[in-house]
Amino acid sequence: MLLTVIVFLPMFAGALLLGLPERVGGISIAKWGAAVVSLAVFLLTLWLYFGLLGGSSTNFGTVMDPQWYVNIPWIDTSINGFRFHVQYALGTDGLSMPMLILNALLTFLAVIGSWHIEKRVKLYMALLLILETGVAGVFASFDLFLFFLFWEVELIPMFLLIGIWGGARREYAAWKFLIYTLVGSVFTLAGIFVIYFREGGQDATFQHFATAANSLSGNIPFLGTAISIPLLIFLLLFAAFAVKMPMWPFHTWLPDAHTEAPTAVSVLLAGVLLKMGAYGLIRICLGFVPGGANEFAPILGILAAINVLWGAGASMVQQDMKKMIAYSSVSHMGYILLGVAAAAATGAVSLNFREAALTGATLQMFTHGTITGMLFFAVGVLYEKAHTRDIDIFGGIGKVMPTLFLLYSVACFAALGLPGLSGFVAEYLVFTGSFALLPVATIFAAFGVVLTAGYLLWMLRRAYYGPLNMKWSWLTDATVLEAFPLVALALVILFVGIYPQPMVNLLTPALSQIIHSMSATLR
Amino acid sequence: MPSSQIGATQIWLLTPQLSVTLLSFLVLGLDLITRRKTLVWATALIGLAVPTFFTFTLAFNVFGPRPTTAFFKMLTVDTYGIFFDLLFLAIGFGVILVSYQYVEKYLRATPGEYYAIILMSLAGMMLMGSTGELISVYISLELTSIPLYILAGLSRRDGRSAEAAVKYVLLGAMSSAILLYGMALIYGATATTDLREIAAATLTIPHTQNLLLLIGEVFIFAGFGFKVSAVPFHMWAPDIYEGAPTPSTLFFSVGSKAAGFAALLRVFVFGGLVHANSTYLWGMVAIVAALTVVIGNVAALLQTNIKRMMAYSSIGQAGYLLIGFASLIIHDTPTGNQAMLVFLFVFVVTNIGAFTGIIALGDATGKENIRDFDGMGRSSPWIAFGMALCLLALAGIPPMAGALSKIFIFWTAWGQGSAMTFLVVLGLITSAISIAYYANVVWRMFVIEPAKREFIRVPVSVTLTMTAAVIGIIAITIVFGPLLTQANIGALSLFPR
Repeated sequence: MLLTVIVFLPMFAGALLLGLPERVGGISIAKWGAAVVSLAVFLLTLWLYFGLLGGSSTNFGTVMDPQWYVNIPWIDTSINGFRFHVQYALGTDGLSMPMLILNALLTFLAVIGSWHIEKRVKLYMALLLILETGVAGVFASFDLFLFFLFWEVELIPMFLLIGIWGGARREYAAWKFLIYTLVGSVFTLAGIFVIYFREGGQDATFQHFATAANSLSGNIPFLGTAISIPLLIFLLLFAAFAVKMPMWPFHTWLPDAHTEAPTAVSVLLAGVLLKMGAYGLIRICLGFVPGGANEFAPILGILAAINVLWGAGASMVQQDMKKMIAYSSVSHMGYILLGVAAAAATGAVSLNFREAALTGATLQMFTHGTITGMLFFAVGVLYEKAHTRDIDIFGGIGKVMPTLFLLYSVACFAALGLPGLSGFVAEYLVFTGSFALLPVATIFAAFGVVLTAGYLLWMLRRAYYGPLNMKWSWLTDATVLEAFPLVALALVILFVGIYPQPMVNLLTPALSQIIHSMSATLR
Repeated sequence: MPSSQIGATQIWLLTPQLSVTLLSFLVLGLDLITRRKTLVWATALIGLAVPTFFTFTLAFNVFGPRPTTAFFKMLTVDTYGIFFDLLFLAIGFGVILVSYQYVEKYLRATPGEYYAIILMSLAGMMLMGSTGELISVYISLELTSIPLYILAGLSRRDGRSAEAAVKYVLLGAMSSAILLYGMALIYGATATTDLREIAAATLTIPHTQNLLLLIGEVFIFAGFGFKVSAVPFHMWAPDIYEGAPTPSTLFFSVGSKAAGFAALLRVFVFGGLVHANSTYLWGMVAIVAALTVVIGNVAALLQTNIKRMMAYSSIGQAGYLLIGFASLIIHDTPTGNQAMLVFLFVFVVTNIGAFTGIIALGDATGKENIRDFDGMGRSSPWIAFGMALCLLALAGIPPMAGALSKIFIFWTAWGQGSAMTFLVVLGLITSAISIAYYANVVWRMFVIEPAKREFIRVPVSVTLTMTAAVIGIIAITIVFGPLLTQANIGALSLFPR
């Protein structure tokens, strides 16, 4: 019931906001309404965690034993021995709960960070809330068909958010986003059909697929060669996730979408929408088709290293701050790919290494959401004042904007993995695990850390340090309202960086269940 | 059962169609004695409650147990027929509700004439779902079609409308002739026109390489293919959709298509033709389905006129239905049948919603290009919102039922074995393509700011229709499970053996 409220409350609130009259204070009602609703949803998602923490035996759930579980039969019809069986099954475990909390937190901060929006406020706030419903549904569903239905919900709100409130090339960016996402989903739906019929065609709950995860085997002929069935299913399912994450070479929509989208939408796009891809990769591709993941792991490792280096290299040469951060997202998502590849790779090492890699990847999903969110907010604050994001135009503006300078620096340091901040913990865990299993890819990917430090510090130096460029002496520091999202995220980053134990405790049961259940398939 | 006598029970079985016909006479007569257009409109609308009531009495056997056939087996009232009766009544309700303003503003015809013609055609459609005999299939097809020809040409001062009507008559007559020829061949092969007896005969006569039967099947399929605008019999649709008055277009797109599929399934499944020459038949349907999804969806991308776009979109939707039909033929099971019934139901509701948006714009401005939708999200938010929801449901984007019915039809086809995989993959790809042109309208309504902002006055009747469509689509999404169950009962009732 709690999950149902978390998932659908934003959508209902959004629909109500749309119906508000334009004149009598409709705009401020829309802002306050969206803020109150998203705050309420955030508090409810916190209760997902604290409600379990207080219990007798603190059990955050696994895919086999989800918490806050509801299961209501929705569609069930039987044909030729197959059942079209869609259940309204929602639940959480250690893998999805941090994502639900992150989604609610970032949506709330996005509403606060959009307070200055003046264009079509009602529609904007309503779309943000509908987006929240779609993303929360993806993380909460425990039925594969339901998962796919929620997966597509975010499409149109995001398309319109980029299209209406975006920058100069918004039309191009919005359509590119739509088309890339759609093409990915087509393959994933086909993959869902294949896995559903291969595994009995009776039940689409996650528990069913997790139980049967090791049963897939065999080959089917394909254009004269034989292709292994687990690998085929893995690749089909992975298509939408690879586009969404994004994995090189399917990443080109991301810099466009991020650059053109308004600040708060970039935050959500990088903060939670990319994580939908990572979540699908871990939960569905790795959890349900471990055999395919194992076969693909060496290539995935290479792709991960390319992702890291390509993203970092591209960041290095950007003039536009926002585009730089967008490419840095590509780079950072590479660490998640690397962690997953390591967890599934062949190798006679202790399961602890796999678990470390996967824990690092999952932690990276959360920390990258907070860090990139903070970076985008920081750029947004600057852009609202200066109306440009060109790094070289600025110079020494740290002198006139000390608060923003401090917060911006915290975000950058977190992103480059400074110990004591959350980015370090995640990357350290990924590398620890992956070096034992995929040493070559890890060595290459590790250079990404150096490059990250390079482009972030170089950007800070060019824009904030040095003598003040007098052209910008009129800039004023961030206001309380502007600094609020930054401070909130900085606190989360600090907390997870200094004391990651609660977070790791939350993740461990769910991840070790995945690792142990797939250990039979790993070669 | 003494079916040779015409008694009260037999009349009872015919009451839905009979009362629609009587209602059309009443509306026509009312037009003579009153000049109040609202009264005529309201009579036609509220009068539909009578056939709906009678359909429910049949559905729940209110007047005791009933036979399933009447009038020398010409009428077959089973769950399938009742399902379609209700669907057609919903179509009639939506079309008449949305037409009020348009008829007053654009049609030179008296309103009584317009509503009466729609009701006559509706009676024919309801008969198409409930016939048990080739002759009555043909008669009800003509009863459906002739009013449609008139509807196409009802804008008497508009040259395009007249052109549409002439094209429609000529092509319709040709398709009827082909259909009739096919029926004659089937009669030649089986020596009966009764669908049950044909079904029995196809089991005894040679039914794997029977050329006579095969040609008959092909011709019948071609005849209905015209009605449902399947490629290559789709040429008429874009021109006639564009030329006809918009409410009539709505009626063609949902009514004619649903009626075509109702009769197609009735003849091929109830009449047992699917298990004669099923390999060849499957090959033909699969090719037609593949062409229909591809050509419909790709051509829709290129249109600038919204009604032409919707014509190609409805051709594409017919393609998805034909994928369901192909999966029905391949194993001769109710499977595809059930998926088709559900898909049609969702298609009707969403298409009514989409056309309501077009009619709203047409009412206010008289324009019908896609670019005329610029900024509609601001000038009339509710209509734009409802239309966007319905278009996205047609595209198959969750959360609305359009996604469910599409996934279900693909799921069904996929479960029929590897021969269907190709069609499903094609369907998935084309439905991804289709999102581009549906999303384009949404983009124009919500994103593009028109140079000149104009306020659109939306009549109450149009707003009501849109509200009904939105509520309908949300309700279908929630009760999708029970709807599937009902469709399954309807699908099974076509398999009497």
